[in-house]
Amino acid sequence: MNEFISAGLIGVSLGAQYALLALGFTLIFGILGVVNFAHGGFYVAGGYIAYGFVSHLGVPYVIAVLLATLATGAIGYLFELFLVERIVEDHLATLMLTLGLYLTMSTGVLVAFGPESPQFQFPISGSLQIGKFHLPIENIVVLSICLLAIATVYLLMYKTDFGRALRALADDRQVAAAQGLRPRLLFPLAFGVACGLAGLTGALVTPILSLAPHVGDPVLATSFLIVILGGLGSIGGATIAAFLVGLVEAYSSVYLGGSKGALALFVLVLIVLVVRPSGLFGREVRGA
Amino acid sequence: MKGTSQHFRKSAIGGLVLGLTGFLAGYAQAACELKLGVVGTLSGPAAQWGLALKGAVDLVAAEYNAEGGVPVGSEKCRVAVSAFDGKYTAEGAAAGANALVSQGVKFIIGPIGSPEMTGLKPIAARNNLLVMGNGYAKNAIGPQWPLVFHNGPGPSGWADPIVKVAKAKFGIKKVVVVAPNDQGGTDIASVDAVAYKNNGIEAIEEYYQRGTSNFQPIVTRIINMQPDAVDTASSPPGDTGTMAKQLRQAGFQGPIGHLGGPGTEEIARIAGGIDVLKTFYWYEPIVVDEKIQELAAAYKKAFNTDRPESNLFFQWVGAARMVVKAISKAGTITDTQKVAEALRSLPVEDPNLGKGLWIGQEFFGINQELSFPFGIGTIIDGKMQPIVKQPAATGK
Amino acid sequence: MNVIKRNAGEIATVVVLLAAFAVPFLTEDPFVYSVANQIFIAVTAAFSVYLMLRMDLLTFAVPVFMAVGGYTVAIAGLKGGVTDSFALTALSFVVPALIALPLGILVLRLKGVYFVLVTFVLTEITQLVLFETPNLTGGSNGLVGMPPTTLFGLELADNRAVLLLAIGVTVAAAIITALVTSYHRQNFAAIEENETLAQSLGLVVWRYKVLGFVVAAGLAGMAGFSLVNMLLTAHPTSFSSSSSVNYIAYTIVGGRVSMLGPVVGSVLLVWMSNLFSNQGQYSQGLFGLLIIIVVLVARGGIVGTLANLVAFLKQWLRQDDNITAAAPPSALSEHT
Repeated sequence: MNEFISAGLIGVSLGAQYALLALGFTLIFGILGVVNFAHGGFYVAGGYIAYGFVSHLGVPYVIAVLLATLATGAIGYLFELFLVERIVEDHLATLMLTLGLYLTMSTGVLVAFGPESPQFQFPISGSLQIGKFHLPIENIVVLSICLLAIATVYLLMYKTDFGRALRALADDRQVAAAQGLRPRLLFPLAFGVACGLAGLTGALVTPILSLAPHVGDPVLATSFLIVILGGLGSIGGATIAAFLVGLVEAYSSVYLGGSKGALALFVLVLIVLVVRPSGLFGREVRGA
Repeated sequence: MKGTSQHFRKSAIGGLVLGLTGFLAGYAQAACELKLGVVGTLSGPAAQWGLALKGAVDLVAAEYNAEGGVPVGSEKCRVAVSAFDGKYTAEGAAAGANALVSQGVKFIIGPIGSPEMTGLKPIAARNNLLVMGNGYAKNAIGPQWPLVFHNGPGPSGWADPIVKVAKAKFGIKKVVVVAPNDQGGTDIASVDAVAYKNNGIEAIEEYYQRGTSNFQPIVTRIINMQPDAVDTASSPPGDTGTMAKQLRQAGFQGPIGHLGGPGTEEIARIAGGIDVLKTFYWYEPIVVDEKIQELAAAYKKAFNTDRPESNLFFQWVGAARMVVKAISKAGTITDTQKVAEALRSLPVEDPNLGKGLWIGQEFFGINQELSFPFGIGTIIDGKMQPIVKQPAATGK
Repeated sequence: MNVIKRNAGEIATVVVLLAAFAVPFLTEDPFVYSVANQIFIAVTAAFSVYLMLRMDLLTFAVPVFMAVGGYTVAIAGLKGGVTDSFALTALSFVVPALIALPLGILVLRLKGVYFVLVTFVLTEITQLVLFETPNLTGGSNGLVGMPPTTLFGLELADNRAVLLLAIGVTVAAAIITALVTSYHRQNFAAIEENETLAQSLGLVVWRYKVLGFVVAAGLAGMAGFSLVNMLLTAHPTSFSSSSSVNYIAYTIVGGRVSMLGPVVGSVLLVWMSNLFSNQGQYSQGLFGLLIIIVVLVARGGIVGTLANLVAFLKQWLRQDDNITAAAPPSALSEHT
């Protein structure tokens, strides 16, 4: 029973991290129709930028996280504006472009920072003891920031003109453009916001886990899973799916072990898709 | 890590200058050139191993070139190094071997990963290459590959002595051995587990998916098994550091082992310090004493930059030197059979690493495993203990 | 004449690949052999991607079926003692195709990008299944020690023979791809253009999709055979999920408009990747930069860009001659 509750707590904190990552991924896909292979690269970049500010310039961690979010957002903005925008209509070409960017980014980090993990610790440590359960304080902090960020994205997408414009473009680009919305202005911004979210996740999570040039590799597979389950471009779906994936991963790893647990998770996703071909909360979407 | 881009620029210039002087020296002495090939993982998660390997071979080449080359027969041969990224895959290493063959390479130092070893050996056999590789796979070397040598014993060599020390120190009765589910994990963890069992310790093997970044679920599972100790075997330092931190957060008090490879400094960095690791024991491929520090200084002098961080660097210097010594003794830079014969008969000795042994007969069926003195590291009550130097493992 | 013109891309591809049989007799350089071998494996696998793209379906599942084909051959050699090249080639096509049939019926119900992402999930599942079935597949250690393949009883063991076999497999794959795409050209084009419309006009879309998926799986299986035969090893790292992106890159960088595209893309990217690997830790980054540049400079891939260029030049020349009639589109760009 104890482990059942522990696994649940772990699943929720995993889910919060996944949600933050998948939100950015699904935003870019839903609005631009771009499968962003560089998403993991922005996660890593966020971690290293925050680390650089903290350890080389002595900036307090909280400010470093903000700076990392802004910096990755800016990189994403520029990348969309100058490169992706030229070929945004060709989904295969953008997929290749982001893949190329990912390879270049991870090589850049490897060359600049070396292959080994630097010392990069979360400023608060310690565990909260509730009865028999240990709950690391850093997990609680990250969980609250994730929830806050998710709420902000919600407000941004549903309560602001910017969000309404983006959603209109996501629904039907031609009609939206005919009504005066300007994808050329909005797309880079959306891309920047999404990459900033990945950067924020990296800056928050890598000091708790580990920071190394390759830690972005699994991000893509996880984002894929969540987006498949949640339905593409659906913010609510992605959030719920992220927590589901977190919980399933926690329970299957605890009860089946790491390797078999992962297999169970993948097979579960396949089954869901066979039963519901557009994801749990999905609707019909464009092709890629 | 500070000023790393500068560090790279410097090393590039250093390499250029060195290459140029080497070139001129070689030019003055007629063109006998010994080409050493390096196949190693130079990109991706395991890049640090390949970079350590490459740095070591670069250093050995520089050492000989500073003296005008390697004496081979009546000539002195300049040493050139050509490196290829094996990408930690079988086909990457196979491609590397082929590429090096067409550059005229006869001797390959590396690769390191087990998949790379698997892919490289058939190509090496087809082209009569002499290989001084690593990889802790159970079939890394064998009688069917007479030209393949193994640098530094795998767990079959050192797991048993370390388990004995750990058992005596910590009174372990039950251990969980945890590692990634691919060849880099299973081949080591299973050998470690056997070593524990042979010493009367109950051992459970537990495998996680390579690429896992958050180990909380695995840690919960492990703690449920109520072991006295957890051995992270060949889990990469990044994973080990995270696991150690999360084990301690979840209240695990017992010793944590890492019988699979170096990287304790990196593990401590990720875990959040030596005091977080608290009770920790590991296999240290090399005990870094004054003699060995000289190698780091020599590297800095030759290339004007720090040596690759991984301590495997030192082991590879020893291995590369043995190969070059054998070439010199055999008096040929083309006949790999003769060089292999010379290598087998050379006593294992290195001015910096000390005296060692050829082992491997019992585990691999062939006595071509290079064994230098190694170390057992321990952290007790959050304090780093001096690393205990062990004589070269015998593998028996 | 029209038939030839319509199938110019397919015919050119087969002819180019047949000409490649000369390569092993022109040089003995092991580097050329190694790169050529990798290129032919890449081309075969890229045909699998190309065939699916004909129906506007992007697939990551190539390594899945490469693994099925490769391990089938390895097990047939190790446990069944099968060494005949023809039998092994046939096995490496048929077994993945058989597995793809029920799988395809399941996953082809998914639309658009769901299908794409699920094929990626399949590659992850493949790795885990390989690790969890050590008795059949050797688990994380893979299978080694297959007997050399034979042709009419002759052993194909040396570098040249291995390369010749790889070329043969690629030519066979090219012929299969050419036959399927040209025979079903109009149906595939209808599906690519507008699936709903095609369906409402009475085309049984899913039947063609399943057919395409099954053949693509077979092609990937053949590539797996070539790979295993080159390495004499069936190893999980050879079929990693990250490798799936490479085969897509070969096809898109080369150009999806013509069957020549996968060939050109494979030659360029595999060759460059081998050159870059000599650059140590910079190799991945250089490869990434190359992809970025090609994608930005040559839209529609290299072959597509060249075809447009040729069409443009033709038009321009004609205008010079004051011929006002519209130039017929070039053979290559015709079946986009």
